[in-house]
Amino acid sequence: MILHVNWVFMGTTVVLLGLGVLNLYSASALRTEGGVLLDPYYQKQLMWGGAGGCAMLACMLFDYRHLKSLAWPMFVISMLLLLAVPVFGKTIYGARRWISLGLFNLQPSEIAKICVLVLGAKCLARIPEKLDWRVLIKVMFIGVLPAAFIVKQPDLGSGLTVVLLLGGMVLYKGVETKILKASLLLGPLLLPFGWFFLHDYQKQRILTFLNPGRDPLGAGYHIIQSQIAIGSGQFWGKGFLEGTQSQLSFLPEKHTDFAFAVFGEEWGFLGAMVLLVLFCVFLYQIVMTSQEAKDNFGSLLCAGVFFYFFLQILINMGMVLGLMPVVGIPLPFISYGGSASVVNFCLIGLVLNVSMRRYVFKK
Amino acid sequence: MPQLDADRLQGTPGNPTLLYFLVIFLFCLFGLRLWYLQVYKGKYFDRKSRDNRIRRYSIYAPRGLLRDTHGKLLAENQPSYALSIVREDCPDIGGTLEQVARWTGIPQEQIRTEYERGKKRVRSFDNQILVPHITFEQVAVIESHAIEWPGLRILVRPKRHYAKGPLMTHVLGYVAQADEEELNGDPTLALGDNIGKLGLESVLENVLRGVKGRREAEVDASGRIMREKVVSPPTAGQDVGLSIDLGLQEVATRALAPQAGAVVVLDPDTGKVLALVSEPSYDNNPFVDGIGVEQWRALLGNTRHPLQNRSIQSTYPPGSVFKLVMAPCGLYNHAVTPEKTVYCPGSYRLGNRVFRCWKRRGHGRVDLQRALVESCDVYFYKLGEELGIGAISRFAKSCGFGRPTGIALPHEKSGLIPDSSWKWKRYGRPWQKGETLNVSIGQGSVLVTPLQVAVYISALVNGGRIIQPSLLKQNPVISNGFLPFGDKIRERILDAMVATVKDPHGTARRLRMEGCRIGGKTGTAQVVNLQEKYEKKETHEIPYRMRDHAWMVSFGMKGDKKYVVVAMVEHGGHGGSDAGPVVRAVYEYLFAGKDLCSTDA
Repeated sequence: MILHVNWVFMGTTVVLLGLGVLNLYSASALRTEGGVLLDPYYQKQLMWGGAGGCAMLACMLFDYRHLKSLAWPMFVISMLLLLAVPVFGKTIYGARRWISLGLFNLQPSEIAKICVLVLGAKCLARIPEKLDWRVLIKVMFIGVLPAAFIVKQPDLGSGLTVVLLLGGMVLYKGVETKILKASLLLGPLLLPFGWFFLHDYQKQRILTFLNPGRDPLGAGYHIIQSQIAIGSGQFWGKGFLEGTQSQLSFLPEKHTDFAFAVFGEEWGFLGAMVLLVLFCVFLYQIVMTSQEAKDNFGSLLCAGVFFYFFLQILINMGMVLGLMPVVGIPLPFISYGGSASVVNFCLIGLVLNVSMRRYVFKK
Repeated sequence: MPQLDADRLQGTPGNPTLLYFLVIFLFCLFGLRLWYLQVYKGKYFDRKSRDNRIRRYSIYAPRGLLRDTHGKLLAENQPSYALSIVREDCPDIGGTLEQVARWTGIPQEQIRTEYERGKKRVRSFDNQILVPHITFEQVAVIESHAIEWPGLRILVRPKRHYAKGPLMTHVLGYVAQADEEELNGDPTLALGDNIGKLGLESVLENVLRGVKGRREAEVDASGRIMREKVVSPPTAGQDVGLSIDLGLQEVATRALAPQAGAVVVLDPDTGKVLALVSEPSYDNNPFVDGIGVEQWRALLGNTRHPLQNRSIQSTYPPGSVFKLVMAPCGLYNHAVTPEKTVYCPGSYRLGNRVFRCWKRRGHGRVDLQRALVESCDVYFYKLGEELGIGAISRFAKSCGFGRPTGIALPHEKSGLIPDSSWKWKRYGRPWQKGETLNVSIGQGSVLVTPLQVAVYISALVNGGRIIQPSLLKQNPVISNGFLPFGDKIRERILDAMVATVKDPHGTARRLRMEGCRIGGKTGTAQVVNLQEKYEKKETHEIPYRMRDHAWMVSFGMKGDKKYVVVAMVEHGGHGGSDAGPVVRAVYEYLFAGKDLCSTDA
């Protein structure tokens, strides 16, 4: 079984993690009158990477098909955690998203994502045909319920990710053509009503995205400075530790949401394209695994993981490159984040798990 | 685990095309976007990031100093304070401008219009000068409130100061704030910079200005300066030494004032201008700070025209001074010989018109020298009639009249040497013979500047070279040609000029001084032709505007010192009695080292 481990996939992951740590080293640097100051973010990220590696191994050891029986209990636990957030939650930046566990802060929305993914795969795997109305609504319920709690926190980004994640899996599985047609028509019609459910700051972000110049020092600042950072990297980049936008603090959230901008500034078009290619190889490996999987559950599990990463990359890069409004979604491996790293590695472990067991039960 | 295996049979795992498509979509979307931002618009964003963190400041270059021939300072630089604003650091621009108006007493609307006008010329995060000069007291007040008004800065800049004020204004000119047009024409100029507007300050602008230095500071997002470096140090403007002798300038000015007029003192061999006086003058210092509207109107409206540099910008009929041109013209054209005499009965008849000699009783029989010494008009009427206007005009022009001398000062006039074709062009009428007679005694339409006369006398003294007068101490001697006549004629004219001083009947006898060779010629130029009714009256009885201009032109030599001194007193009355003392005061200073005016005042 060890022989069947997807080494390319694992290698891509390690390279991405390495680039992320390297970039965080630079993103933590702060130029001052006295010289360069370093925040220890890269060390922490390395630590989290290690912890993630262990979690990944743990996720590879057992046969993934056991997850089917654990799917419902896991889902219920994650829902309970989400319900606990408003009561015991810790408030950071005006949003209550975390539960303090002493050593670290647990983000229940991250756990909810995995649980929705697993339960979704389990439910969809059992359905033989393309989905019809009744089944679709039942399945979507798995996603919409936790998403509603997450949006309430408020964390629109994660909430949307949960729904889109499940939606992606459903599309992968396939729905009846008439439903597809109907939603293509209805979606754009319903979208404007969503406006009324948004918080003021979320409306601001969308307005600012449409016209960053309306408030260059306020709401538009992130968008403008991020594009300046990326663009000023030009073809070859400014060089490692030479990014002025990041080191002189013009770039906000440089080690988390906008870490990719630091990368783009220092490594230029060349480096950014290498990173993009690495991400594509990474995603491609997941798709491959989903095709080679022995059963529908494994295949759908991989599809779920695919959408999990795809959505994060799309939303984060889109935001950093000024193609999307500012949404607080980190870029996998590149942005600093503890629980996110562990979750990422767990999911990679699952994919490797599916991949290495692809021949086990073949006749 | 058979039940685990069962779902393999239940339908398809899913549609991979969607996933492949999404990967390709991701790659293309972000690949294109990265290319657009980093390659296509890379240069633009690079500039933006530089603008973010680099603030540029000018280091002002001190303007070159101006000194007189002995090294005395004429124009220097003093520190001055300017109030400026950095827009990006100022949260409430309207309120700040209001406060600036309260502090400085400048009307609020004026500050606001200045601000709006200048705004587009100033880069982001650069200082925009609001008030170019503020007093030390204002600095103290503003400094003490600095924290309440972020964005306001006080800059220290060198400011021009003219130590002698009005004394040198007509030579030095002044610097003042560059206007819109000058700013557009010269990218090295910034809003609030002073540049030479007049006189030597304007002519020598490129030499004096120097090159501003540049300082760059790297700041972080909160505006703290991380490091600073001088990108290019300023280059100071070159100091310039003038040929002007400040003491002489002072003496000549005091001798002339309070009358209006001009005094020119030249070194005839080199053309160096030792004194260039035009009275009345004005103080050039207020222009540096930006002259007030009231003050400017007063200068413009002053009936004595202090803005006029009379030595080069005003033209006057030369009167009898022109006989110094007529006499060599006659000899050169063989119209007369030195020995030939003419009888002067006090008037000369041409057709049915009578032309008077200034001496009503007549000079009797006069030869060329006597005619010059006693300034006999009849002799020159006759000579002029014989020569005709064409010969006179050609000769005068070749002596340097009718064209600028080429001194390095703006707005020099050429004067006028009339001839028949000029008359035809100007008035559409033929030249009259009577006009030739008027021209012969320097009346009619002949017009010269005091400097032109000085250059001509210099040529008589220096061997015939028409030299371009120069205000700079170090300057090659530039010759603009030679007098048309030879040394023999030249010497004869010089002798006649010396006789005019020495002879008891000589009109310039006031200049007689022991131990030196001085030659002179007076001139009394009528302002209005044939003002019979004023003719017999004393000068003080005639209204000022109708009085004659008084000329005294001269050269003086002692040892190896040589000078040419020309004085012109506007509406002064009589050459000898009114312009004479001015010239005499100059020689007393030059030869006796005596400051005449201090005792004679």
